[in-house]
Amino acid sequence: MTDFVEQCRGEWKRLGVPDPIAEEMAVDLAADLSDAEAEGVSAEEFLGSSAFDPASFAASWAAERGIIPAPTGRGNARKRPFVLVAFTALAAITVIVSALLLATGEPKLSLATSRTTAAGPSRSVVHSVSAAAPIEWILLLLAVVALGFAAWLWASSGRLRLPTAST
Amino acid sequence: MVRESRRSQLLRGVLDLCLLAVMDEGPAYGYEMTRRLRERGLAIVGEGSIYPLLGRLEREGLVETYRAASDGGPPRKYYRPSSSGQLALALGVSEWRAARDAVDAVLAPVKVEVVS
Repeated sequence: MTDFVEQCRGEWKRLGVPDPIAEEMAVDLAADLSDAEAEGVSAEEFLGSSAFDPASFAASWAAERGIIPAPTGRGNARKRPFVLVAFTALAAITVIVSALLLATGEPKLSLATSRTTAAGPSRSVVHSVSAAAPIEWILLLLAVVALGFAAWLWASSGRLRLPTAST
Repeated sequence: MVRESRRSQLLRGVLDLCLLAVMDEGPAYGYEMTRRLRERGLAIVGEGSIYPLLGRLEREGLVETYRAASDGGPPRKYYRPSSSGQLALALGVSEWRAARDAVDAVLAPVKVEVVS
């Protein structure tokens, strides 16, 4: 439990919470955790899932008190477009390459004529000459689905950037 | 699993009211509030903890705080509802009761339920 408080202290320091306020919160938290322990209440029961994430807990507490700005998810927002651009580009390239392979490759089925014996009748045999054809179709299908998913992510990303109501 | 999640969600929506209610009975520090909640069957606060919520109530001026010695322990930060907090509690209780009655009216005809 002391370790949990120390990790909170570290997070508050990192976030620029003034020392006296951080100290006050740490003392209160330590005293409450000590009470809980004395009554046989685990940190998880007392803190919920926050017990496993001291950094988020500390940041959330400080933000709700108005000591630091509320997290806006800017870190994720900054990464999201780059990841999305890469994902969309990959999906688009895969669609184009698959389509080109399908359009310009060998005929997928060919009609070949062969004779079984010198005297026997000739017959038509269907040979598959492109074992890659199903893979190309699968790739194309997957890439189209991925492009659709990317479009949905872009739309969601746009909605997430809308101003949020304060709670 | 679904029931637990629903319970957590329901509680999250009214936890501020519950905190204001238990501190309205008498000033309390953080752990003391969870103890009072637990005594009434709210054993788990759910996904988070009460501290961020107490922080928000403090920021919004709904609670007043002061430091005082606890029984044999270090000085603790005590919370009590401010006049705005008491008003928010009264309004919130009315809203809760209206919502509860409306939901009860809808669910009343349902004959089956799982007793936990």
